[in-house]
Amino acid sequence: MDAQKVDMFMMTNAKFFESHQVYNIRNILLEIDESKWIYISSIQFKDPTNMLIVSILAGAWGIDRFLIGDTGIGIGKLLTCGGFGIWAIVDLFLIMGATREKNLETFMMHARL
Amino acid sequence: MIRNRNKLYFFLFTACIFGYVWLYLNFSNSNINSGITACYFKNLTSLPCPSCGSTRSAVSILNGNFIDAFLINPLGFIVVTIMFIIPIWILLDLILKKDSFFNFYKTSEKKLQKPIIYIPLLVLILANWIWNIKKLL
Repeated sequence: MDAQKVDMFMMTNAKFFESHQVYNIRNILLEIDESKWIYISSIQFKDPTNMLIVSILAGAWGIDRFLIGDTGIGIGKLLTCGGFGIWAIVDLFLIMGATREKNLETFMMHARL
Repeated sequence: MIRNRNKLYFFLFTACIFGYVWLYLNFSNSNINSGITACYFKNLTSLPCPSCGSTRSAVSILNGNFIDAFLINPLGFIVVTIMFIIPIWILLDLILKKDSFFNFYKTSEKKLQKPIIYIPLLVLILANWIWNIKKLL
């Protein structure tokens, strides 16, 4: 893909990924076909900061995990009052990383289409 | 986060062990209502959360009082079933070197993301929550 488009994508979306993944994502984008640009540029990524806010407000019921698509863990948190309150606090620190991992998964899914 | 079979099994296994320890502590304590409240939503607002009372419900099930358990919190039945099945299924998978539980987990996660399935469940959870608040668990 055109380097200019790739750099534009990276500038707007780098905050949605882990810093160590950004370089690989850029390389993947440079390799893939120009026709995928329309799909790639229209992906909606989840904002890690929004998920942190949800985790603070409603983390005890697992809403944060449901929103990023980790339904299994979400149910676990819902049924145990946020893992007896402990897992809800641990998740305050894990949720931003987990959101970025999920964003990478969505990106990979679209890039491989 | 969990896309790796062994990570998922390890996570669920430790979670189940914590659950068993918690249940044992509550089970050996004869007066259930004097137990510690772990739910921080309840500690903050003094309102019960959707799953408050599932420990008491699980203890009632273990004592054989199924009607009491249902009246305290129906979610206790789900918790007990999950805690009973998961360790056995995981151990079987580890012994037979299969990943049937991991596949089941992934497919059920995908099914639960369909609105036609999650909306009724959400309504049930909300109804249970309202019932919990009315009962003042």
